[in-house]
Amino acid sequence: MTSDGRLRRCFEDVQIGDLLPPVVKGPMSPVHLMRWSAAIENWHRIHYDGRFATEHDGLPDLLVNGSWKQHVMVQVVKDWVGLDGWLWKISFQFRGMDRVWDTVTAWGRVTAKEAKGNYGIVHCEIGMRNQRGEEGTAGTAVCVLPMRGGDAVPYPFHAAQ
Amino acid sequence: METQPTSHITEAVRSLIGAQSDQQEATEPVERGAVRRFVQAILDDDPAYRDEQYAQGTKFGGVVAPPLFPTHMFRRRPDAPDPLDVLRDNPDWDGVGGTDALLPPVPVPLGRILNGGVEAEFHQLAKVGDRVFAKSRYVDIYEKEGKAGKMVFTVVETSYTNQDGALLAVVRNTIIRR
Repeated sequence: MTSDGRLRRCFEDVQIGDLLPPVVKGPMSPVHLMRWSAAIENWHRIHYDGRFATEHDGLPDLLVNGSWKQHVMVQVVKDWVGLDGWLWKISFQFRGMDRVWDTVTAWGRVTAKEAKGNYGIVHCEIGMRNQRGEEGTAGTAVCVLPMRGGDAVPYPFHAAQ
Repeated sequence: METQPTSHITEAVRSLIGAQSDQQEATEPVERGAVRRFVQAILDDDPAYRDEQYAQGTKFGGVVAPPLFPTHMFRRRPDAPDPLDVLRDNPDWDGVGGTDALLPPVPVPLGRILNGGVEAEFHQLAKVGDRVFAKSRYVDIYEKEGKAGKMVFTVVETSYTNQDGALLAVVRNTIIRR
């Protein structure tokens, strides 16, 4: 724990195979999709115009924005890392489509860890699946965690430090 | 006679690989209201994104925006023409574009666009009030054979910096045209 009572996740606390607490969102209604499109002023019609999505683009239905899903992929790792660590790198591919009314679950699993000087590097496999079990998004993340009793992870974070 | 499969990767397309944009400033600085609407839409109630008192006590020193927020900061400028005007002549317009594009368009005759994925490296978060700058480049443009024909993949790398020239993030985005 830190002085203000927050949980401090340290490198030593992490084991290969650990699961990150999943982040679940949905069902993603057309209203959710519209709210997102409006928030970023993105007018791509496949996210709110059902007729355009199915008849013009030949899609099964309105699609959940990849631009929205990317922030959920970030959130699952960022929330697990906590304020004392740093989500350094993230990479994922959108391989499958998530449709309107889908519920998505972003998940992560620790695959490797290495001590690096004053802090630890943790590698994760990450993904997002929907309620049909389709793993539409897959990728990896690299996190930086403090050592127990060690220095804080530098912020801003640069690899050379 | 056998028909030659024609590639969309023409000389004009190939010449864009490596092309770099000028550095451009985001439409507005990081606005508190914009961050609020944004995090409400992504359903993330992290207090660092909304609670000034809490955020002051963190390493951020104030309310910050999510790591990939800068990628959405290049909007339609006040003096830019309304992209929706296109609909008068073309009611089938897909709604893509009209934002502040940093790079010239990739000239391929493929009308349907999908987001292929993201590769990002984060250094610090943009804070409310920060001015954000971006510089983009085409890392790669290539073609793949899909179920419904040829698909063109465009990989754009953008570096985001703040008003002090400090690097916030480097983000590679893959766009698929099919």
